[in-house]
Amino acid sequence: MYLVSLTEAASIAGELTLVERWIASAKVILTGFVVVFSMLFLLIGIIKLYSFIVMKVQDKTSVQKQKKDKVSQSKDSLKKSQVKPVPVLSDPSTAEDGLSEEIVAVIAAAVASTYGGKGRVKIKSIKKSGGRSAWANAGVLENTRPF
Amino acid sequence: MEIIIGFFNAIKGLFESSGIMTLNWQNYVMIGISIVLLYLAIKKQYEPLLLLPIAFGMLLVNLYPAIMNPPTVELLTADQCAEQSISIAGHAQRVIDGVTYYENPTYGGLLYYLYQGVKLGIYPPLIFLGIGCMTDFGPLIANPKSLILGAAAQIGIFVTFTGAIFLGFTESEAGAIGIIGGADGPTAIYVTTKLAPHLLGSIAIAAYSYMALVPIIQPPIMKMLTTEKERKVVMEQLRPVSKLEKIMFPIIVVILIAIFLPDAAPLVGMLMLGNLFKESGVVERIAKAAQNELMNIITIFLGVTVGATASGQNFLSWSTIKIIVLGLIAFSMGTAFGVLFGKLMYKFSGGKVNPLIGSAGVSAVPMAARVSQKVGQEANPGNFLLMHAMGPNVAGVIGSAVAAGVLLNVVGH
Repeated sequence: MYLVSLTEAASIAGELTLVERWIASAKVILTGFVVVFSMLFLLIGIIKLYSFIVMKVQDKTSVQKQKKDKVSQSKDSLKKSQVKPVPVLSDPSTAEDGLSEEIVAVIAAAVASTYGGKGRVKIKSIKKSGGRSAWANAGVLENTRPF
Repeated sequence: MEIIIGFFNAIKGLFESSGIMTLNWQNYVMIGISIVLLYLAIKKQYEPLLLLPIAFGMLLVNLYPAIMNPPTVELLTADQCAEQSISIAGHAQRVIDGVTYYENPTYGGLLYYLYQGVKLGIYPPLIFLGIGCMTDFGPLIANPKSLILGAAAQIGIFVTFTGAIFLGFTESEAGAIGIIGGADGPTAIYVTTKLAPHLLGSIAIAAYSYMALVPIIQPPIMKMLTTEKERKVVMEQLRPVSKLEKIMFPIIVVILIAIFLPDAAPLVGMLMLGNLFKESGVVERIAKAAQNELMNIITIFLGVTVGATASGQNFLSWSTIKIIVLGLIAFSMGTAFGVLFGKLMYKFSGGKVNPLIGSAGVSAVPMAARVSQKVGQEANPGNFLLMHAMGPNVAGVIGSAVAAGVLLNVVGH
């Protein structure tokens, strides 16, 4: 209390003595450091707490949703089986080692979907691209687009 | 003959009221400086959205100082009013030494009226409203620890306060100068209008200049304080943040900060309101207006009028030079403390945090985060730090608003 009044009085007088300057500086540094850090630490705690609660609640609701989806999926399975497959010719023998037929089928389906379902598409070879995966690249692009 | 005399008198009157007769050398120096700033804004594209209107405001006020004149009241006798065809009806009267005078109001300059939005602290919070609409706090919510870096980068503000005090500035002036270290233009203007309005021109120009120079000032400090190994750290991908978390964030932050630090409420309140507009998704029209039309209009008014405070008489002084030097120190210290705390986090996390993201704690969104990304990629081309740096970057906006609240509270009251 005394320190505060001393510096305030000096400010009014205009010129500060050396001691008063040290006092004023220490006061601001200490207050600033403590308040800024404690406010932001408090925020960290609160963000973590509410994120935890939100994630828990959303996990519960997503489990319930998944159960409902399973039921509706089984009902729809008959209808889906009647959909004609897209004519895609894939040649798994030319794919890179270690790729299962399912993966080749998925890639072929993605290509067919991209180019439309009417034309015939033939997968000749599948190669792994170097560096970041296509999904990671897409994710990075999606996240960094606003900046 | 009368026509010729009248013509010469008119020309003489015009010449006497022209800038050639009324301007002094300081105005001419400032005209030169404003042209250099216009060049930097247009050719070099240094923060052109603000530097261009600031430089033009500076040019205008030094060509025609009356554009910032406040309204006054002149006292005229009844005869003088009649000579100038001024109606005296409704004008207040004042009797001085037995002579009755009529108060005739004269209007202020255009920029004086626009400047009231700065003087009364209206424009900076409105700019924050637009910034809030454009800011994604997702990276911060995904990694709340980045708030520590946002806080660490504010230490430069308080250290520079000390430097300013020892250079002979008053406490209020030192507070306004220190805030340059926050690297946040609207916050710097807001604090300066409250603490040291006479330094507004110098502080605003220093703040925006350093923000424009972030890619030049920060990398050497970042490289000096980190090792090659630290710069190469690849951080784990951030978790996705749900919409509910993003909606809750502005509400929680504003409640917390407005309760504990009411002086920061106008800035943080508007920032969070803008963010709630964006994240709620139910007021898309308002969010678009706030981040486009409103923000652009306010940016024009703010830039031109802040520039107009830099008249030759105000700006050309030792104080300005000291402010520019102290501003650079504040900015560099903010960057350094951010990186140093980043190093601490690197140690405590077992090498999972790249210290380069610490420098983004000095607001300057998103430029400071881009610098972290760029310096990180120089060390490791496959590294992608941008989203990790956005956390401290937006935390820096909140941190500098909190620091502003502290300064207003401690030295402003």
